[in-house]
Amino acid sequence: MKARRPSAFLCATALVAAGALPAAADDIVIGFAVAQSGFMQAYDEPATQAALIRIDEINAGGGLLGRQLRPVFADTSSDRAEGARAGLEVIEAGADLVVVSCDYDFGAPAALMAESNGKISFFLCAESVRAGIQGVGPHSFSASVLAPVQGATMVEWGHEVMGWNTYYVLLDTWTEYNRGICEGFDYKAPLIEGGEVVGRDTFVNDDASIAAQITRIRNLAEPPDAIMLCSMMPGVVSAIRQIRNAGIEVPILNGSGVDGSYWMDAVPGLSEFYIPVQGSIYGDDPDPAVEEFNQRFAERFGVRPSSQYAYPGYVMIDVWAKAVERAGSTDAAAVVAELEKMEGEPTLFGPRTFTSELHHQNQARYHIVKVDNGTPGVIDSWTISEPIPLDALVR
Amino acid sequence: MTATLQILFDALSLGSLYALGALGIALIFGVMRLVNFAHGDYIAFSVFVLLWPTTEAVSILLLGQLPPILLIPVVIAIGALLSMASEVTVFRRLREANPATMMIASFALGFVIKHALLMAYSSRPKSISILPGLAQQVEVMGARIPLLQVVTILATIVILLALTAFLKRTRFGLEMRAAAQDFTMARMLGVKANRVILLAFAISGALAGAIGLVVVVQTGTADINMGLSVMLVAFIATVIGGLGSLYGAVVAGFLIGGASVLMQVILPLEARPFRDAFVYALVIAVLIWRPQGLFAPRSSRQRV
Repeated sequence: MKARRPSAFLCATALVAAGALPAAADDIVIGFAVAQSGFMQAYDEPATQAALIRIDEINAGGGLLGRQLRPVFADTSSDRAEGARAGLEVIEAGADLVVVSCDYDFGAPAALMAESNGKISFFLCAESVRAGIQGVGPHSFSASVLAPVQGATMVEWGHEVMGWNTYYVLLDTWTEYNRGICEGFDYKAPLIEGGEVVGRDTFVNDDASIAAQITRIRNLAEPPDAIMLCSMMPGVVSAIRQIRNAGIEVPILNGSGVDGSYWMDAVPGLSEFYIPVQGSIYGDDPDPAVEEFNQRFAERFGVRPSSQYAYPGYVMIDVWAKAVERAGSTDAAAVVAELEKMEGEPTLFGPRTFTSELHHQNQARYHIVKVDNGTPGVIDSWTISEPIPLDALVR
Repeated sequence: MTATLQILFDALSLGSLYALGALGIALIFGVMRLVNFAHGDYIAFSVFVLLWPTTEAVSILLLGQLPPILLIPVVIAIGALLSMASEVTVFRRLREANPATMMIASFALGFVIKHALLMAYSSRPKSISILPGLAQQVEVMGARIPLLQVVTILATIVILLALTAFLKRTRFGLEMRAAAQDFTMARMLGVKANRVILLAFAISGALAGAIGLVVVVQTGTADINMGLSVMLVAFIATVIGGLGSLYGAVVAGFLIGGASVLMQVILPLEARPFRDAFVYALVIAVLIWRPQGLFAPRSSRQRV
């Protein structure tokens, strides 16, 4: 049996617990109330690791406001009830920034705890509008990009660059994330000239078979230019596999949730599959600094990022630290005010904007990854022409 | 006509999966009045042994490298062995306990198996492509059907025929049917309880392994929760079929699979996300009409 690589942040926790790290009283504490065990661990770990890389960079550069950043950890055990306790634990340890789980439902308890203590919280990579002001409160942010932006990006890019006009929409009703992708698509599709949805269907992530849905696609008089699939792991792999096995070869689009080549063994020779990503893990990012980051990540943690969902962790520390620097203090109100002034703030993974209405990205630069014969690679970059308005996001 | 045939195949193949699951649960219920909620985790376990245990995202084949002729029996045998092991280590010790205690124990056992998989493989789904030959399409009377569907349906028919022959024609089968009818009386008449129960667990586990194979070829994915939905539907099928009736469980499995596909086809788009609600409304209607299930065995009627 292959030994499990010691997780970096578990090691860090052990070190902090043992008092081995030099913990000075004037350190700025960043509290990670994230899953270090259980279901969410596999999703929280990469973004946490990326955050640690940015923390190290800042410390190596002399720290923030002349003080060192010190991460502390509390395990949510992938349990929502434990999440609030973990949030409280890092706040009691002096955290000025509370980092919470990737998913809104799992991260919200700790974020609400931070909110009620007047602390800033950042979701590692939640893509629901609720991960922020709308669901938690005025001190809460998300480090990723809204799911609807992903659906909107795919349809606008598909039309403008590839000339696709007719779409078939297949929605996996399992999560808000999936619905979000399709909502973004549905917002954008009517705005493109000649855009037409020729059919729609739904399935559920754990459906043992989507044969009936596939039969419906095959019975279309003419195949669509592309299938907009709004789904996520693990069911999305099954859906793609069944669609391709049924001999349907039209382009398939999805959100970023399918990024990574680790699942592609399930669909040998997959082609004509397109997704948006914040940065490329495949070694071909247009910005060489992203590939440098991937290599640093691999050196430190033994593996390259397995998907783009490591990157928001890096962005999170980056924008927060800039806001602290500009505010000249870690005071929550002052830092939030600075964050809300950011408009197109450059980061390693594209510009970021926060406003007093939305602590999330409703427009973002995405790289378009195409999978061709089982090999993914960046083929283009796209930013939707207009941000998705708030009333289309909050329903 | 072609469309109807396509729907029929979709329904039969999904129904086959549910029927095999229901059969696995009904077999155990028949001999020891245990609803084994760990059954879904047997399905996941049989699939995960195809992979090396690693928490990294990329999966590496372990048993999945075997040629199909070995792969299929090995996976089925592993399902059977796990199921037998759980009988010997857990359920045998609870033989005298009341059914609720055993049911809770089965939940606990499922939890242990699931978390063992979580520790060894992480919660991230793993990709796996085995038996690629089954991915191709075949033409049946004008309809293009995935070969896997045909194989699933045929395999289910063969399994059902073989099991029927086993139950009707062999001494073990006779003992098992006797035990399902009236366990105390069967023991008094010389049926060895441990042997019959162990055999039921072995067959049930083997069926879980077979389901695991079908699901993994279908989805290309191993996920720690992959057995859950099949197990749930299978459990409902055993209830509708009449708890304790093997025949009823199989028929109800096919009925639920058929209803599910039919709902997907006939419901308007707005109602389709609630497909399962419609299917379960039918289940409730059936249970109101026949509270003991469609084919309740005589033994269960007497007890109520």
